[in-house]
Amino acid sequence: MKKVFFAAALLGASVTAQANAPGGPGCGWGNMIFDGQSGLPAHLSATIVDGTSGNATFGMTSGTNGCDTSVPLAYHGSGLFAMQGMMEEVAQDTAVGDGEALTALSVSMGIAPEDRGHFKQVMHANFSELFSGEEVTAGEVMQKITELMEQDEKLATYV
Amino acid sequence: MRAVLPVLIAVLLMPTVSFADAPDLKELAEHPRWKALLHVNQGATTRGRGHSYVEDEAFFLHPRGKYRPEQELRASIKALRPPDSPERCRFPARYRFLAESLGWDSEREPLAHCDEYQQWREMIPGSRVVMVFPAAYLNSPSSMFGHTLLRIDSDDDDGSEWLSWAINFAAQVRPDDNSLFYIYRGLAGGYPGQFSIVPYAQKIQEYGHLENRDIWEYRLNLEPEETRWLLEHLWELQDINFDYYFFDENCSFRLLELLEVARPGNDFLKGWRFAEIPVNTVRALYDADMVAGWRYRPSKAVELRHRLEQLDVPEQKLARRLADDPALAETAEYRALEPETLHLAASVAYQYLRHHHRRHDIDADMRQRNLALLHIVNENPAPELPEIKSPVPPEQGHGTKMVAATGGAREDTGFGEAQFRWTFHDWLDRDAGFFRGAGIEGLNLRIRQYERHRPRLEQLDVVRIRSLAPRDRFLKPVSWFVHGGLERRQAGERRRLVRQLQGGPGLAWRLGNAKPHVFAVARMENNSAWEPLVRAGGGVRAGVLYYAGGFQWGAGTGGVYFSNDEYRHQSDLTLNVPLARNHALRAKVLHQGWRDDDGGETEFRLSWRYFFD
Repeated sequence: MKKVFFAAALLGASVTAQANAPGGPGCGWGNMIFDGQSGLPAHLSATIVDGTSGNATFGMTSGTNGCDTSVPLAYHGSGLFAMQGMMEEVAQDTAVGDGEALTALSVSMGIAPEDRGHFKQVMHANFSELFSGEEVTAGEVMQKITELMEQDEKLATYV
Repeated sequence: MRAVLPVLIAVLLMPTVSFADAPDLKELAEHPRWKALLHVNQGATTRGRGHSYVEDEAFFLHPRGKYRPEQELRASIKALRPPDSPERCRFPARYRFLAESLGWDSEREPLAHCDEYQQWREMIPGSRVVMVFPAAYLNSPSSMFGHTLLRIDSDDDDGSEWLSWAINFAAQVRPDDNSLFYIYRGLAGGYPGQFSIVPYAQKIQEYGHLENRDIWEYRLNLEPEETRWLLEHLWELQDINFDYYFFDENCSFRLLELLEVARPGNDFLKGWRFAEIPVNTVRALYDADMVAGWRYRPSKAVELRHRLEQLDVPEQKLARRLADDPALAETAEYRALEPETLHLAASVAYQYLRHHHRRHDIDADMRQRNLALLHIVNENPAPELPEIKSPVPPEQGHGTKMVAATGGAREDTGFGEAQFRWTFHDWLDRDAGFFRGAGIEGLNLRIRQYERHRPRLEQLDVVRIRSLAPRDRFLKPVSWFVHGGLERRQAGERRRLVRQLQGGPGLAWRLGNAKPHVFAVARMENNSAWEPLVRAGGGVRAGVLYYAGGFQWGAGTGGVYFSNDEYRHQSDLTLNVPLARNHALRAKVLHQGWRDDDGGETEFRLSWRYFFD
């Protein structure tokens, strides 16, 4: 599992610059979490036609326009959380201490069902540290989650 | 040489295979799964019966494969037989069908050389298949009746749906196509349709968050083996074009075809499926005993309303102010609240901000407020919230088509009426399974015969859509209506058939079970009494819907003033009494007036309405 976080952390560092590059907005670990979803390019066309707009993809990438998260997706889907809007869902769930996005994150990290409750507690208790400022990016949060897990006796085994 | 060798082997093999088994191949080409794999039209729609729906040369190994399933079978045998055939990597399901049918069982890993495919299959292991039905979305022409997609869960673990994949069939439109053009081409054909696979979490965001649609999820009872057929075949459809027709060959229809591959021999592709609408797809799955259970996923707006209902009015006001300035939480007024209440108020404020700005750019101030609100949520314990109650699922609603028999009187003259409505629901029909206050009617025909007269067309609506979206302290949507067709109205000295198109924006609210509303009306009308050809008019209409004890009441009044100084007004009262799921009685009394009307005319009618299909 170490690879997952290595990949995520790596992306967190390197994608920052790319986040605003052509073809890259709306996606990547470099996105600010509380940016909402206005950048989700799929939504406009989805609103009109319930579908995709010309660059439908088939599995090897995540399928959002300009958002190629193929590498992390291969690792149990934690790359999904690089997609705009996803980490904000996690933030919301973390504030409360439970929710589908947080569960999905724990599953994507390979955390066993019996330890997921504990994972959520640790996340909940450290909300302020994880989401320290309004300009925090998805990659930064991911990195902090990893650090928190390393410091925790039970969760360290999953890192 | 490497390319030549397999061909050589194939050529050598071919005569033995095709001559020896010739009669069997003819039979095999009729196998339900072979037909399903080729997407052969088995009579459900009119275009090209017996031919494949696929509009893409890349999908066929024989030039006439689209039209000749047997030829395609022979060509497939030829291409897929050699062990290292690259075609196997494109057609894994076809390969398996042939290998199992023709006893090619000597190879242990026949697809070992297909790296890309193997990688893909690893990513989508697939153990549970779910039909997903995001409910109607009136603000988009293509989603008015809802939409369907399939979801592939990687395990049976509830709670990891966010990591599942969604299989979606949609028209491939160019981003610069506008909505009207889309409707035209969608109806007339001309868009290629393709399958795509996207993270389900993205679909939840699109439907549940951006569009505020409730989502219904129907777990199917496919066996792992059947799921495997489905996924292997899905790979064959990568980048493959189908024609997309809004009415028949649409998303719902295509998904049924996929399920036919998984479990062949269903009846749902044999019957006439013109204008397949998603709710009937769900019913078809129930009829085929494919549904193992369902789940309701409320939209974000429903979640917000649910939380809001846990607060009393002064607390709601506090929550609303908190959204504008989270720092208020430090003031005495907020500190006096129970911590659980403050948690709830902050989460309502946060959800309100997200909802309100879901289509806008977020600035630094908004980001700050969002985070500050989440901090308040985090610092205060969560209250126990009652679960959101699921409404009646759509497939339990009334049928989509309707006929009605009506008797009535206008002034002193009695009349009888026959009515047929092609689709779908008006806002006074039994609301179980439908979204309250939304009405979509297409092709609504009423023929009326007065005593001692011949039958005459009374009304023919081509389309009538009414969307009532109630406003409150937090959510402020705009309602709207559009209505076009023929109707009999006073023009000149008598009632005439007029051609009209009207529409306008409106406001609606909710007071308990009542929905008061008001609409602005813009109307274009053509009739044989007025010059010039088309007259414009404007007006207003106000009314209230009331749902109580299983009955639906509607009352309204309004008028339109025309540019030739004519005017008309109408007031009406309607009571709808559902007798059973597909039967209802409806009584309506209305009064119509116009310039120089000498008191106007009053009409009463009583209908028996029967829903079917």
